[in-house]
Amino acid sequence: MTDSTTVATSSASEGAPGPAPRQGGRALTGKGSGRAGDKVFLGLSSGSAWLIMVILAGVAIFLIIRSLPGIAANWETSSELNSGPTAGFANFWAYAGPLLWGTIWAAFIALILGTPVAIGIALFISHYAPRRLAGALGYLVDLLAAVPSVVFGLWGIIVIRPFLLPLEEFLNTYLGWLPFFSGTVSRSGSTILAGGVVLAVMILPIITSITREIFLQTPRLHEEAALALGATRWEMIKLSVFPYARSGMVSATLLGLGRALGETMAIALIISPSILFSLTLVTEGENSQTIAANIATNFPIATDLQRSALTGTGLMLFVVSFAVNFIARWIVARTGPGATRKTRTRTPKAKTA
Amino acid sequence: MKLTRSGSIAAIALVGAVALAGCATSGDSNAGSDSSKSAEATDYSKLAGTLTAGGSSAQANAQQAWTTAITAQAKGLTINYDKSQGSGGGVTNFTAGSYDFAGSDSPLKPEQTTAAEAVCGADGAVNLPIYLDGVAVIYNVEGASDLKLSGETIAKIFNLQITDWSDAAITKDNGGKALAAGPITTVARSDGSGTTQNFTNYLVGTQKANWPYEASNAWPVAGNVSKQQGGSGVVNTVKATAGAIGYADHSAIGDVKAAEIGVGSDFVKFSSEGAAKAFEVAAELKSNGVEGDLSQSIDYSKITTADAYPIPLLSYAITCKTFKDSKQADLVKGYLGFIASETGQKVAEKNAGSAALPASILTEINKTLSTIK
Repeated sequence: MTDSTTVATSSASEGAPGPAPRQGGRALTGKGSGRAGDKVFLGLSSGSAWLIMVILAGVAIFLIIRSLPGIAANWETSSELNSGPTAGFANFWAYAGPLLWGTIWAAFIALILGTPVAIGIALFISHYAPRRLAGALGYLVDLLAAVPSVVFGLWGIIVIRPFLLPLEEFLNTYLGWLPFFSGTVSRSGSTILAGGVVLAVMILPIITSITREIFLQTPRLHEEAALALGATRWEMIKLSVFPYARSGMVSATLLGLGRALGETMAIALIISPSILFSLTLVTEGENSQTIAANIATNFPIATDLQRSALTGTGLMLFVVSFAVNFIARWIVARTGPGATRKTRTRTPKAKTA
Repeated sequence: MKLTRSGSIAAIALVGAVALAGCATSGDSNAGSDSSKSAEATDYSKLAGTLTAGGSSAQANAQQAWTTAITAQAKGLTINYDKSQGSGGGVTNFTAGSYDFAGSDSPLKPEQTTAAEAVCGADGAVNLPIYLDGVAVIYNVEGASDLKLSGETIAKIFNLQITDWSDAAITKDNGGKALAAGPITTVARSDGSGTTQNFTNYLVGTQKANWPYEASNAWPVAGNVSKQQGGSGVVNTVKATAGAIGYADHSAIGDVKAAEIGVGSDFVKFSSEGAAKAFEVAAELKSNGVEGDLSQSIDYSKITTADAYPIPLLSYAITCKTFKDSKQADLVKGYLGFIASETGQKVAEKNAGSAALPASILTEINKTLSTIK
């Protein structure tokens, strides 16, 4: 998850030549103690780098080993899998499929709602707000990231659910012909829309802080050139800031997606879930459940084989999150000439670390 | 599992256990045979050590009350009951050998009983009913304060066949007094739960014709159901939603109104005595084959009188008959013995809002406890 923060920070330090400080360090300390320090530091940092690989591999191996019995089991005949939370599914994929869909759907709703606002805030902070206000606002948005998700969940139950009810009724009454707003409208408000709104708020700080940093790095000359050509401020942003920041915006959004995919407690508390494929946003009984929330709510009561099946869905989530991060990197590497240059300079640095 | 206790503390624990075993009704364990004198008020002060347990969150409040009560006397005793595990986690950790006892809303299944032998040895594990409560049907209906619902109406409402509060069946249950028309929102648990298990047990046991599902710890009805996480999620949602009806552990409903449930032609409010009476008349021993096991099966058709609450909720402590460490066995006997005493049950009734188990089953539990070594 931290890797695309390096996208932002590495481009910030782009001007500074990477290897220079190390050479300087060596030249200054020709003595043995300095070399020892160097070695220790090298050992520590490369050890940490290896450790994260080992941990990641360990998690993957754990997930695979633990989930195999559940994935391989015969779901039709197993009495264990035919009771409780896993009852009524022909096989593992019939169980994991809707959950996977629900996970992606909830995260997608959050992205649709959250990204424009997040980018708007970032743009306001970087290009519109007076300096003092920008600082305070940036600080506030970062604070949002420190709010625990249980608190967001409770806020969702107490505030967002009833707040959205009239809107949901309106959408259902007048736009009910759209699949998104069809069905029996919820009366308690525990809809996937409410969950999506809260998720959107939760991913705001990530997207905002990354895009803000990137917007701020737009070369001054580009901006001034645009203004000199007679562009208004909005045109200047459109002509110089957005093209420059495009890849950063995409990777920030995908990072937000990663956060939304794994969010558990807020979703578990707010949404009334069912395991099915559904597009509806405003119903009580047709909200697709997400993987993380499903594991959290059913793991305690589940028996061994059911736990294995739940772990299997966890493995699916792991794969999807991984895929999202890969896609993010791939897009970053592809889009925009500036971005391509950045990735190339970054890669060797990453190797030396 | 780490147990920190010095030799002297262990010795004290042993002495305490000897005193405890003396109260058990039959003293065929090695400790019990040492002392046959039975004291009226048991002295727990000499119990010392650490008990590691966990499982059912339904009995968590009661466990906390029991822990507080017994550790007030037994200063050296530490009891860690982890409610975050849930019944499934409790049983898993127990059969893996990391718990001294597990709390579970349902007794061990046959394959789990077999699995437990790996930890407990050939003597196996026993299920002891230690916690009794009722499932309350809670509602939030404008203008209704003493709603009465028959079992049939409850089954139809929760199966989404009755969808409006002005339905004739509800009017009939309430003596012809019609409620204002309004849609019904049924609220159920989204997480696997012993409360759901007990509630669906009741529906399956009494309303076969109107309840086509099997008893399960996951809510079986699909459709326009509001599913909420945890008992508190259900209670809060019913509280906040006009026209909502849900079910929850009676001890957790707070100030939300609970319906009177139909028994024959009468309607019964939850009471501690009512739950105890229901247990007395309807609970049948359904042993797992291990001697001294007290697994119960509730025969709901036997609950026919107005002094019995028709939806009892039962939760168990599951423990080994033979411990590898006899000191640990004494601690478990001491603690579970306290729970299965009249005092222990009163503590839970007062502090956790549960119902006290009838004396007859407490005697049975103590009989089993005395054989644990």
